[in-house]
Amino acid sequence: MALKSESEYATDLDDGTRRSLLRHMLVARRIDEEARRLQRQGALDLWLSCQGQEAAQVGSALAVGPASTVFPSYREHAVALLRGVAPDELVAQWAGRTFCGWDPRRLRFFPYTLVLAAQTLHAVGYSIGQRLQGLEDFVVVYVGDGATSEGDMSEAMNLAAVESAAVLFICQNNGWAISKPAEEQMRTSVAERARGFGIESVRIAGQDPESVFSVCSRATAHVRGQRAPCLVEIQVSRFHGHSSSDAQEVYRSAEDIARTRVADPVTAYVARLSGLGVVNARWLDDVEAEVRELRERLVKEYA
Amino acid sequence: MATVRSAGLAESINATLADLLEQDPRLLLLGEDIGRLGGVFRVTRGLRERFGEDRVRDSLLAESTIIGQAVGMAMSGLVPVCEIQFDAFTFPAVNQLVTQAARIGGRWNGQASPGLVVRIPTGGGFRGVEHHSESNEALFARFPGISVACPSTGEDADQILRYAVTLGSPVLMYEPIRLYWRRDAVARDPEPARSPTAARVVRRGADLTVVTYGAITHEVLEAAHALACDVDVEVVDLRWVAPIDMATVLDSVRRTGRLLVVHEGSRDVGIGAEIAASVAEHAFDALRGPVRRLAPARRAYPPADFEKDYMVGVQEIKDEVLVMTK
Repeated sequence: MALKSESEYATDLDDGTRRSLLRHMLVARRIDEEARRLQRQGALDLWLSCQGQEAAQVGSALAVGPASTVFPSYREHAVALLRGVAPDELVAQWAGRTFCGWDPRRLRFFPYTLVLAAQTLHAVGYSIGQRLQGLEDFVVVYVGDGATSEGDMSEAMNLAAVESAAVLFICQNNGWAISKPAEEQMRTSVAERARGFGIESVRIAGQDPESVFSVCSRATAHVRGQRAPCLVEIQVSRFHGHSSSDAQEVYRSAEDIARTRVADPVTAYVARLSGLGVVNARWLDDVEAEVRELRERLVKEYA
Repeated sequence: MATVRSAGLAESINATLADLLEQDPRLLLLGEDIGRLGGVFRVTRGLRERFGEDRVRDSLLAESTIIGQAVGMAMSGLVPVCEIQFDAFTFPAVNQLVTQAARIGGRWNGQASPGLVVRIPTGGGFRGVEHHSESNEALFARFPGISVACPSTGEDADQILRYAVTLGSPVLMYEPIRLYWRRDAVARDPEPARSPTAARVVRRGADLTVVTYGAITHEVLEAAHALACDVDVEVVDLRWVAPIDMATVLDSVRRTGRLLVVHEGSRDVGIGAEIAASVAEHAFDALRGPVRRLAPARRAYPPADFEKDYMVGVQEIKDEVLVMTK
């Protein structure tokens, strides 16, 4: 299935929502930059950058709303920050202090799961469990393209389908399972695979937070309204290596890496909202000042 | 030999599960064919009719799905009691058990304590086909965060299950298939275990301690009774192999001075090795002879025609005890 053009999904968002999208994207980008710096200084043992995936993460996380419970994979830093995880809580596990630095229950943002796709079955089971108790059962689970090769992902899609579980699967396809390109991982899209399990799905480009927001809002309405799972596959770019431990220059062409950087969702959205007059230099300065404070606190705690 | 009649293990567990479902609305059962069919061993017979399909759930035929969704259900506050159809079919679920279920409590910094029980029919001696007769409890005893119980009677299974659903961390309960329908058993010392997790001295004796667990406890007791005129054998039924109640084992060995460990799972790097090492570390001076282990050699469980050669029987236990006490 071909990527639909963004205009097919874009609906008119109000300016408050647009500024919120951009603000969360900027915060995520700057915290990620600081975390990469801290890792290079030896303050963090490992860092898995989310740069390039901010529009997909922020657009989806804002769309699903605060009542949903989120089962992340391990790269959803922008989702984490949006959900209220503090920067120092976010990096704590990468500094070897804990396996989860935040309060999963209060934030309804569950711990990162490092064994690929294991969380997909937890998410479906959690949704069923909530439903059985008459509690809010809308669950969002994030997974990467590489993890979709795991058996648990296929099992979770099938289970969600046969149980009509209120689960929204969000697959961020950044084109790489560490060093293995997507075209060598699968012969169909993840979205097409989901339909084979009887799950409604859609595949979209992930550069524009507004189209991601719109699609994920509709997917959320579908899951809640139809009491049936849904999958959104979002095509994103991975700016850096899989983690701070792999230099992607070894397996990825310079042209490909350069292309990725050109399609930066954060700078593109800054330019777009500035051009539309939705944000101005003063608004951007205020956000940067706020982020500077967060970064300083992070450095003080970890450097 | 004094034998007593009792309900079979399947019937006992069925009654316990029914009672637990009755008592606790958070509890549910999840497994392959446990609802309409009542399980391949009929352990859950009649429970779906009584408690409904929401609480006695016929799962997909996928073990990772069973345990993975049970982890999620436990996070939501339910207490899933899962059934794996046969011991070796646990393997597709090992990732969910070991990297997930066992670690959730720690990963959540104690903010989640998912109660999760997995019932696993185990062991041989019933002419099972390939993969249907294994004893893999020692494998899981190695993983922190998982408790492993191996009851040898319905009474113990009842006590273990009632404790397991309150523990807030995963418990695997290995149910010997060949005890599901067995109704006669050698009489045991009536003294109850000190706690739900304690081992139980099921026969008092002075000359030698046999530490054992699971179905083969019955063969050990038969051997002990048969030898009663010559050797006074004490039998300790561990009931749990993780954690192991070493205090009861050490106390017994200090009184008898001799230790034989008997189990149905293969010998190498097994529970017997752990018991022997702990006794050597903590009660070496009490020993009157070398600690010995009696268990199948490290090889795959054979086709049914050869299982009698593979399994440890009453005669081998008697022979071993006599060698150790002559």
